[in-house]
Amino acid sequence: MSLAPSIHRPSSRDRQHYARFPTQPPNAIRLRTPNATLSDEAMSNGYNHNNLGEGPDTMAEEDHRAALFRQHYILTEARLMEALGGGSNSDALDAIDNAMLLSSEVAPAAHDALPAVTPKKPTRAIDEDDYGDDEDGDEEDDTRTSPLLSKSASNAITGAAIDTPSLRITSLSTKPGIERISTPSSEQTKSSDDVRKRLQQDKKAAEDAAKRSFNTLFYTLESDRDAMLEQQKLDELDRQVETEMSGQPPNAPANGAPAAPQQGTLSTTNLGASSLTLKHLIARIDARRDMVHASDAQLRSLISEVRKNRSKWANEDRVGQEELYESMEKVLMELKACEHAHPFLQRVNKREAPDYYIVIKHPMDIGTMMKKLKQLGYKSKKEFVEDLMLIWSNCLKYNADPAHFLRKKALYMRKETEKLVPLIPEITIRDRAEVEAEERRRGNGDADADGAEDSDDEEPIMASRGRKAPSKGGKGTSTARKAPPAGLEGTPGPDGKPAIPSFNNAVFNLKNEFLRADSEMEGSVNGFSTPPPGTLTPLGPNGHLRNGAHGSQADVSEADGTGVSVSAFTLEGEDAELDDLEFKTWKQVTQKDRANIAAERNRLFRDDQLQVDEPAILRSRAGMRRWLRHRKQANEEAAMGSSTALDGKDGIQATAGETLAEGIEGEEERQVPDYYDPVCAIPDISERLQWIEDSEGHVIQQVEEYMRIVPKGQFTMPDSTLAKKMEANMRQMQETRKICAKIGIVKQMQIQSQMYKSQFQKYDPPSFMEADIDPIVVSEDGPIMSPYVCRAAMQRSVGKIFYHAGFEEFQPSALEAITDIAGQFFQKLVQSLGIYRETPKMKSDTPVPVENGAMTNWIPRFTQEEAALHALHANGVDLESLDTYVKEDVERLGTKLSGMHDRMRAHYADLLRPALDSTAGADGAGAFNDGSEQFVGGDFAEDIGEDFFGFRELGLDKEFGVSFSVPLHLLQNRMHSAYAAQNTNNVATTGVLMEEPPKFEPVTIHNITNEIGLVQEWFLSKLHDNNNESLVEDDDLPPKQRFPKPRLPPTGKISSPRKRPLREQQQMARKKRKLDEDKEDNAGNENGPGINGSMSKGLGKPLGKLKLEMPSQKDSQSVPEPEKDDGSAVGMISPESIQAS
Amino acid sequence: MSDKDKLAKYRTEIQQMMFVSGETGEPSAETTTLIESIVQDQVQHMLRECSVLATRRGSRSISTDDLMMLIRHDRAKISRLRHFLQWKDVRRSVKDSDDKGGDAGADVGQGDADLAAGVVGSGTGPGPEAGKKAKRAKVELVWEVPSFFNENPPQMDDVEDEEEEEMNFATLQRLKNADERTKNMTREEYVHWSDCRQASFTYRKGKRFKEWAGFGLITDSKPSDDIIDILGFLTFEIVQTLTEEALKVKSAEDLYKKTTGGEPQNRMKRKRERGLFDPPEEAREPVQPGHVQEAYRRLQKGSNKSRAMLNFTRNVHRAALKLI
Repeated sequence: MSLAPSIHRPSSRDRQHYARFPTQPPNAIRLRTPNATLSDEAMSNGYNHNNLGEGPDTMAEEDHRAALFRQHYILTEARLMEALGGGSNSDALDAIDNAMLLSSEVAPAAHDALPAVTPKKPTRAIDEDDYGDDEDGDEEDDTRTSPLLSKSASNAITGAAIDTPSLRITSLSTKPGIERISTPSSEQTKSSDDVRKRLQQDKKAAEDAAKRSFNTLFYTLESDRDAMLEQQKLDELDRQVETEMSGQPPNAPANGAPAAPQQGTLSTTNLGASSLTLKHLIARIDARRDMVHASDAQLRSLISEVRKNRSKWANEDRVGQEELYESMEKVLMELKACEHAHPFLQRVNKREAPDYYIVIKHPMDIGTMMKKLKQLGYKSKKEFVEDLMLIWSNCLKYNADPAHFLRKKALYMRKETEKLVPLIPEITIRDRAEVEAEERRRGNGDADADGAEDSDDEEPIMASRGRKAPSKGGKGTSTARKAPPAGLEGTPGPDGKPAIPSFNNAVFNLKNEFLRADSEMEGSVNGFSTPPPGTLTPLGPNGHLRNGAHGSQADVSEADGTGVSVSAFTLEGEDAELDDLEFKTWKQVTQKDRANIAAERNRLFRDDQLQVDEPAILRSRAGMRRWLRHRKQANEEAAMGSSTALDGKDGIQATAGETLAEGIEGEEERQVPDYYDPVCAIPDISERLQWIEDSEGHVIQQVEEYMRIVPKGQFTMPDSTLAKKMEANMRQMQETRKICAKIGIVKQMQIQSQMYKSQFQKYDPPSFMEADIDPIVVSEDGPIMSPYVCRAAMQRSVGKIFYHAGFEEFQPSALEAITDIAGQFFQKLVQSLGIYRETPKMKSDTPVPVENGAMTNWIPRFTQEEAALHALHANGVDLESLDTYVKEDVERLGTKLSGMHDRMRAHYADLLRPALDSTAGADGAGAFNDGSEQFVGGDFAEDIGEDFFGFRELGLDKEFGVSFSVPLHLLQNRMHSAYAAQNTNNVATTGVLMEEPPKFEPVTIHNITNEIGLVQEWFLSKLHDNNNESLVEDDDLPPKQRFPKPRLPPTGKISSPRKRPLREQQQMARKKRKLDEDKEDNAGNENGPGINGSMSKGLGKPLGKLKLEMPSQKDSQSVPEPEKDDGSAVGMISPESIQAS
Repeated sequence: MSDKDKLAKYRTEIQQMMFVSGETGEPSAETTTLIESIVQDQVQHMLRECSVLATRRGSRSISTDDLMMLIRHDRAKISRLRHFLQWKDVRRSVKDSDDKGGDAGADVGQGDADLAAGVVGSGTGPGPEAGKKAKRAKVELVWEVPSFFNENPPQMDDVEDEEEEEMNFATLQRLKNADERTKNMTREEYVHWSDCRQASFTYRKGKRFKEWAGFGLITDSKPSDDIIDILGFLTFEIVQTLTEEALKVKSAEDLYKKTTGGEPQNRMKRKRERGLFDPPEEAREPVQPGHVQEAYRRLQKGSNKSRAMLNFTRNVHRAALKLI
C-alpha cells in the first residue's frame, strides 16, 4: 500500500476534469485501508479539524493532507449514503432516473458549495463515486455494479424526495447524523430487504452446514449449561415483561378515533389490503353501503377484529405500528438470543455495581426495552435504535478498562445491532386520525386532478392498511399486496409529492411479506395449509407477487447480479473468524433445544441430588423415529457422497410408511444432533440377534455358531505336579485317618463292655472331587464373570490347603474369613503385577520386532518374569519361601505322612492281634513261626481274659508280670456285632470256607410222613397251627425272631445259656407271634413269609428300643447265624481286611 | 542410679555371651545395659504375646507351645530349640538314671552350652554320648504331622531322625563361626570360652530371671521349668544375634572409615594372627551402643510380607515389635 498515495494523488487531480469516470479501481483499493484501520469518530474528528483549521488555498501544497481530508470526507459521505441508502428499489425511480442524473450532479455540488468554497467541489464529486465502492464494503447488501447511476440517482432521490436540504446546509458536521436518522430512505428499506433475505439465507445455510457438521463433529455438552441458564433468563425476562404488562392495561390508543363522517365505500376505505377472505363481504357491504348503518370506523374495527392472524402489534389507529414493532421485536429477539447478550438482559443490579447509576445516567437493558416495546413505548425506529445503542454505550462507558470482558461483548453486540438495525423499517407511528386527515386533505386535492377515485383515493389508506396486512400477505393471499406496487407503478405521478407512505407501503409490503413468510415458516404452519376460503387459487397470486416483487427489484436496481459477488465478499470477510464460526453457529442454532434438553436433565438433578419425583426422561416414538431417520439419512448421504447437500429440514425426508403412528405424536423438529437424545437411540442389533427369515419364512437360527460351551476345568485345580502331590498327601491323610478311626473303636471296645452301634460312626471320608461347573453356554470370549462361583472355587482351594495343612475340619466362618483375605491378597498381587507390566515403555538401542513384524525401539520396562518377581516381592513373597513351601510342606510332608501311615497301621495291627504282626502271613499262618508259645503251650486262657482259672483272683498276674488283657481278636462276640454293620462287605470278601449244606426241606403236610413217627404228631399240630402251610425253619426266620441258640463258651461250662435280655425278647416275640398268629387265623391269611413279614414289622419297634446288639433286620441277606460263623466274624476285622484297606 | 542397677543384672552374662558370639573386646557398661534392656523388652514382649495366645486357647497359663508358636517362622531357631529341648530331656533322663550327683550338674551345664551353640559334632562333653544311650524323645511341635491325627502311635525305632538334615544354613554357619573362633585357641582360652558358653540368663538364677522378665506381672508367676529354659535359650539367641549384627555394623563402619581415610584400623587385621606381643584381646575396641542400636534397627526392619495386605490402601503400616 505504500504506492497508494502516489497513485492516488495524480488520479485525484486528473479526475477533477472527468469527474465521473466510471472506473476507479485504485481509488477503491486505497480507500478501503483507512476505513479498516481508523475508527469513524477519529475520522470525522480529523475531518472536522481539517475543515476548520485549514484555509482553502493550502490545498495544492498539502497533498497528503488533502488525501487524508478526502478520505475522511469520503467516509463521512459513505456513512451518509448508508443512512440515505440507495433509492434503487422503487419503481418510481425508473421514471425519474434520467432526470435525476442531472440533478444528482448538481446536488452534491450545490451542497458542497455552501460550506466549503471552490477547490473542494471536484474532489467531492469524485468521492461521491468512491463511496459507492466503499459502501459495498461496508454494507454487504448494496448491490450495484454501476454505482454511478443508481448512486447518483438515489442521492438525487434523497435530495428530491425528502425535504431536508435545508438541514444539510446548516453544517457539514451535523448533516450526516441528522440525515441518517431522520430520512426514511427507500433504498435502505429495499436493501434491508435484501439484507434480511441474505441474512436469512446465510442463516439457513449456516444451519444446514451446522446440521451437517453435527453428524461429523462432536460438540461437547459443556456449553449447554450456559445455554440453559441463558434460556431460562430469557424466559424469565419474557415472563417478567408479561406480568408487568398484564399489570397495567396496554395503553393502546383509543379506538374511538374521530371517524370520518363521510361514508366512503368500505373496500376503498379501510380493508382494501386486509383480506381476501373478506373480499366478497366487503364488496357486498360496499354495494349496499347506504343500507349499513355504521360509520366507516365502526366497520373497520369490526372487520379488523374479525380478521384472523393479525399480529399482536396490529392496531387500527396507529398507523405503521404493526410492522415497525414486528421488526423491532424481531431484532430484539435476535439480539437477545445472541450468545453475548447475557449481561445486557436485565437491569444492572445496584448491588453488583454500586456506582453504576452514578456513572450511568440513563440505564438501559434489553429487558427494559422489551417492556417498553410491549407498552408501545416506541414511536419510531430512531427511538428504538437509540435505546439499543444506549445499552452498548453504557456498557462501554462504565467499563472503561479496554481489557474488560464486557466491553468485548458490548462491541460484539453493537456490531450485531448494526447488522440488524437496517431490518427495521423507517416508520414513524402516527395516529390514524392524523393519517386520515392527511389522506383526506390530499385526496381532496388529488381526486379532482386524477379523477380516478379508485386508485388514488384508495391507495393511501390501503397503504396504511397494507402495513398491517402482511400477516395476511405472507400467506400468499395477496392480490391486495400485489395491488399497491401496481398502483405505484401505474401512478408515477404522486411521486413529486411527499409520498412517503406510499413508498413505505411498497417497500414494506415486500419486506413484510418476507418477514411474515419467515415467521410463518418458522412457526411451521405452512401458509398454504390453512387457506382462507376465498383463495381458491393460492398459487396464482403468489406467483404474481413473486413476479411483481422481482420485477420491481430488477427494475430499480438492475443490480442483483452483484449480489453474488457481494455475498461472496461477505463470506470472505467472515473467513477470518471461520474457525469460530462453526461453533458459533452451532451455539446459536441449537441454543434453544440444547437449553431445553439441559433443563430437562437439570430438573432431575436439581440441588445436586436425584429428584425422584420428577418425571423421568423417556424415549418417545417421535424421538426414535427421528433417530432412525437421521441414521438413514446419514447412510444415504454417505452413499451419495457429499455432493448432494442435506436438506435443511430433516422432516421432509421422512420416509413414508415407516409406521402407522407416524404423525400421531407431535413431531417437533429439533436442531440438535442425536447424541443429545440418547434415550431415543435405537441400538444396532448385532447380526447374530437379528430376526432373519429364509425364503420360506422360517426363522434362521443364527445363534449356534456364536454359542460355545465353556471349556471344562476352568474352576478346578489345574493338573500340575504340585497339585498331584498335594492330592496324594490328602489321600494319604484320609487313609491314615481311617486307621485312626479303627484304632479309636478298638480302644473304645477295650474300655467299654457294651458297645452300641451308634458309637461306630464309620469313618469313610469320600475322596476329594473337584466338581466343575455345569456345562454352560456363553456367547462371549473371556473369563466368566461370576463372582460367587469364583469365590466358591477359591474357597474350595483354600479348604484343600487347610486340609493339607492338617485341619480335618474347620469352621465355615474361618474359611470365609481366610477366603476373603486370600482373595484380597491375590487382588493386590495382580494389581501390582499390572502396575509393573504397564510401566511406560523405555527406549532401547536396538529395535525389537513386534508381533506384526514392524520394528520398534520401545520395549517394556520389565520383562514378564521381572514383572512377576517384582510383584511377588512387593507383596512379601519371595521365591525362597515358595520353594521351601513346596519342599517342606508338600514333599517332605508326603514322606512324613507315609511314615505316619505305616506307624499307624502297625499300631493298629498290634492292637488287634499282638501275635500277628507284619511277619504273619496273609492268613495269619506266619503267627506260628516265631515261637508261637501260646499255640504250643495252649495258654490261650490268659489271653482270653476270663479268669476261669482264678489266676487273677490269686494275684498271679502281678506275680508273673504278665498281662491278662484279652486279645481283641478273641472277643468275637462283641467284635462281630460291632463290625457286622460296618464290614458287611468284608464278609463277602473273606469267601466261604465251607459249602453251606443244602437246606432242609420244609415240613409240609405232604412230606410229613418222611419224618420220624414220634415227631409226626407234633409236626402235625404245628402244621395245623400254621394253617397247613409248610413250616419254617428257625434259621429261616427273620433274624429278630430267631431263637437264640445256646452256645458253648470256651470254658466248656454253660454258665448262662441264654442271656436275660434275649430271653425276655424272645418271650415278647413269642407273645407277639401268638397274637399275630391269632390275627392271621382270624383273617385266614395265606403264607408264612407274609406272616413273618408282618410280624417283623410289628416287632421292629420294640426291638429297636431295646438297643440290643442284634443284627438288624435289614441285613436279612443270607446272614449266617451269628453263633455259627465265628470265623467270618473274625475275618471282618482281620489283618486281611486291614491290608485290604 | 538405682534404676540402672536394677537393669544391669546380667552384665557378666551378656559380656560372656558376646564373647562367644565373636566380640573379643570388653564391651562397655552402656553397651551391655543397652543389650540387656533390649533383651528384657523382647522377653516381656514374648510373654505378653504368649499370654494372649494362651487366652485364646482358653488357658490361663502359658505353655511351651505358645513360645514356639511365636518363633515358628524362624525355622533355624526352631530347629535349634528342638535340639536344645531334646538334649535337655536326654540330660534329665541320664541324670535320673545314674544319680551321679555333682558330675551331673557340670554335665548339664556343658550340654546346655553345647546345644545353645548348636554344637553337635564337636562332641566336647559326655552329653552326646549319654544322649546316644538314652532314647531321645522327639519334641513334637503342634503343627507337625502327628498332631494331624487323634491317635498317637508309638515312635518306631527305625524311623530315621531327620533333625540333623533339618539344620539349615544359618545354624551351620553359626557352628562354623564357633569352630573358626576356637580353632586357634589354647587350652586355657578354650576353657574360658567354654565357660563363657555356659552363660545363661536363667541357669540357676531362675528367681532373678522371673523377677527381671516380669513374670507375675505379665503372666502367671509360676512358669514351668521348660518355659524358663526355653526363654534362657531364646535370650542367649537374642544376644548372639544382636552381637553378630552389631559386629557386622561395626566392621562396615570400620571399612568405610578406612576407605574414606579415617583412623587406621590395622589392629583389626593383626588380631587374626595373634602374635606374642599383641595386646590382650580386651584391648580391642568393642562394639559401641551405637552399633547395637543400628543392629537392632536393622533387625526390626519390617518385611514386605507384613505390609502386603496394606498395598493399595492408604493405611499406615505400624509394625509390631519383631522378635530377634
